[in-house]
Amino acid sequence: MEATTMNFTIEPVTSETVVIRIGKALDFRNAADFKAAAQTQVRAGIRSFILDFTDTGILDSTGLGSIFSLYRQVSPMNGQVVFASVSRPVQVVVQLTRTYKVFRQFSTVEAARKAVN
Amino acid sequence: MEITRQRFCRLDVVIDELHALFEEWEREDALLAHLDQQTVELLRLAVHEWIANLVQHADFAGRSPEVILDVFPNGRRVRCVIEDNSEGFPFPEQLYVQQEALAPLPERGMGLLMLNAATEYFEYSLTDDGMRRLEFTVSADKDSWLDIPFS
Repeated sequence: MEATTMNFTIEPVTSETVVIRIGKALDFRNAADFKAAAQTQVRAGIRSFILDFTDTGILDSTGLGSIFSLYRQVSPMNGQVVFASVSRPVQVVVQLTRTYKVFRQFSTVEAARKAVN
Repeated sequence: MEITRQRFCRLDVVIDELHALFEEWEREDALLAHLDQQTVELLRLAVHEWIANLVQHADFAGRSPEVILDVFPNGRRVRCVIEDNSEGFPFPEQLYVQQEALAPLPERGMGLLMLNAATEYFEYSLTDDGMRRLEFTVSADKDSWLDIPFS
């Protein structure tokens, strides 16, 4: 069952994997909400996060920082954070910050699901 | 050369207004339509980061906020000037501190660094009429990147 937290929709894939649909923006206005939503998932045992950027027009430094925070939390637990369906504005941030070195990218959410599970 | 000036007065909606404006400018035959998408997105990111900085940290000392954005497309470059009536920031010093203090996979402190990385040149000054003025250019010919420590 999908759950919507603030601007984010969280869809369970398995007992350890979720898709988070980022929506229009992940920036300084809602980064704390993203962190809180992700934190709830980690506490519930989720270790793999597929971030769906299909509709995302804004990813700023604070939004990216909140993703780094999630990655720092789950990577010691063999968790992962991957990017799916990356929109053009998000791709520019990924290229500018070279975060493609840290986060695997998939052209679709479906491709990410198959790779992660 | 087409030039545009936009004035923002409400910090609670300025980010939404800004992005709506960019969407308008990117439409066919609009202000930024001649530029490649990468350059437009870098410009949008640089402006967003600076205005986000104003929204979060600027001290307007009780004045009604005023932010004025001028955009000057010029061939493969865009010059941008953002003026505001805040008390201002020690911008170059803050940039240096952020550069030196950048932790691996940082949660905060990347905003000014991203602005710096996205732009070809920038200058921060005080105008004769007391406005704080950030001027920068974004170029299609610059290889833009920010060196973030990942471990």
